[in-house]
Amino acid sequence: MNEQQDKDTTHFGYQEVPREEKVNRVAGVFHSVADKYDVMNDLMSLGIHRLWKRFTIEHSGVRAGQRVLDIAGGTGDLAAKFSRLVGDRGEVVLADINASMLSVGRERLVERGVLGNIDYVQANAECLPFADNHFDCITIAFGLRNVTDKDAALRSMYRILKPGGRLLVLEFSKPVMPGLSSVYDLYSFKLLPMMGKWVANDEESYRYLAESIRMHPPQDALKAMMETAGFERCKYFNLTGGIVALHRGYKF
Amino acid sequence: MKQIPIVVTAAIEVAVNQVLALDPDTVARLREIDGKVIAIELQGLDVALYLIPTDTGLSVFGHFEGEPDTTLRGSPVGMLRMGLAENASDSFFAGEVEISGDVELGSQFRAILDGLDIDWEEHLSHITGDVVAHRVGSFVRDAVDWGRKTLDTLGRDGAEYLQEESRDLPNRFEMEEFLAAVDTLRTDVDRLEARVERLVSRRKNKENFQ
Repeated sequence: MNEQQDKDTTHFGYQEVPREEKVNRVAGVFHSVADKYDVMNDLMSLGIHRLWKRFTIEHSGVRAGQRVLDIAGGTGDLAAKFSRLVGDRGEVVLADINASMLSVGRERLVERGVLGNIDYVQANAECLPFADNHFDCITIAFGLRNVTDKDAALRSMYRILKPGGRLLVLEFSKPVMPGLSSVYDLYSFKLLPMMGKWVANDEESYRYLAESIRMHPPQDALKAMMETAGFERCKYFNLTGGIVALHRGYKF
Repeated sequence: MKQIPIVVTAAIEVAVNQVLALDPDTVARLREIDGKVIAIELQGLDVALYLIPTDTGLSVFGHFEGEPDTTLRGSPVGMLRMGLAENASDSFFAGEVEISGDVELGSQFRAILDGLDIDWEEHLSHITGDVVAHRVGSFVRDAVDWGRKTLDTLGRDGAEYLQEESRDLPNRFEMEEFLAAVDTLRTDVDRLEARVERLVSRRKNKENFQ
């Protein structure tokens, strides 16, 4: 990808921006969409994102008493489910780099009665503020593509996972079903920004979301990145014809 | 093992939890086995469901990474029979349902689901108010009562008519007398058979002498 070739700039959607500026640009997008993010997720994915998240949980192998980190877990969908599964003896940490997303997520979880075994941390995925070998499972759902230095983020996640622990990356990917690409293009570049304009009154932010999906490494490239970071037994599952893929890797 | 589509398990989870929400006692008892993984394998269909009790109900998965704490394995009919039977151990002894892993946990889970008891009147009262709910409740109870009594009486009266009035069927004493007579006849025939055999063999012996 171009971020490896050119150290001074990186992509922000289809634009090239100085590396240090991407964090602020992404922060701007999410500050602006935070309170409508949920509604837009349902609308954009036609509700299917709930099934993708369910699939992630089924493949997490999380059970009572374990410690789980949900990075970029803004709206708290995964964290709520994990909090129930790990029970009183377990622990869930919801981390997000964006204060607005974190506070919206926290408010939602408290309203749903999810308390007690859950903590909230504002953190950058590239340098996670946790001890080595700390978590049984780390998830990052629809977050990795917004991280500036993905390799650093994967290394940081590897460091804080316990041996035997696993990382699950749920992210938009490259459609593999024949014929799906053209429909998907039309949808994401024409319809999506339009819906963003009507529902969230923020066309630019949703244009960024669509573009950033295209700039994200496809299935095999991401798998290779995980292996470079040290993960073993890496595997991915294509969901909904490859629009989304779940990558899983273990630390041994 | 095939995997149940995720949409289906999601739907099952919603349905199960809606039923559980009507019986808070069962939810409280499920909390005792909070976080345990219970696998239900349906033989023949070759599918498995993984149930994980949490503090608010049951999570239902079609796939689980790792070993479940207990596994209930059986044919769909065997499972159903275990659910309906008064005495669940019947299905275990008949070999219809097999528990492996934590056997104690498996039977505890079964006992919890057995105790599911929904107070429909109470839940109806949230929608219609107490008075209407109580009336509906009493009406349903009365109807069920009447139905049971009617069936019972009909059964007894019907038998009496056939036995005493139309004489199409024998009554109990006639029946016993008849069965006793059949027994006597059978033993008489046995004795006669033995006697005939004895006479035949005696005759054979005489012929041999002459």
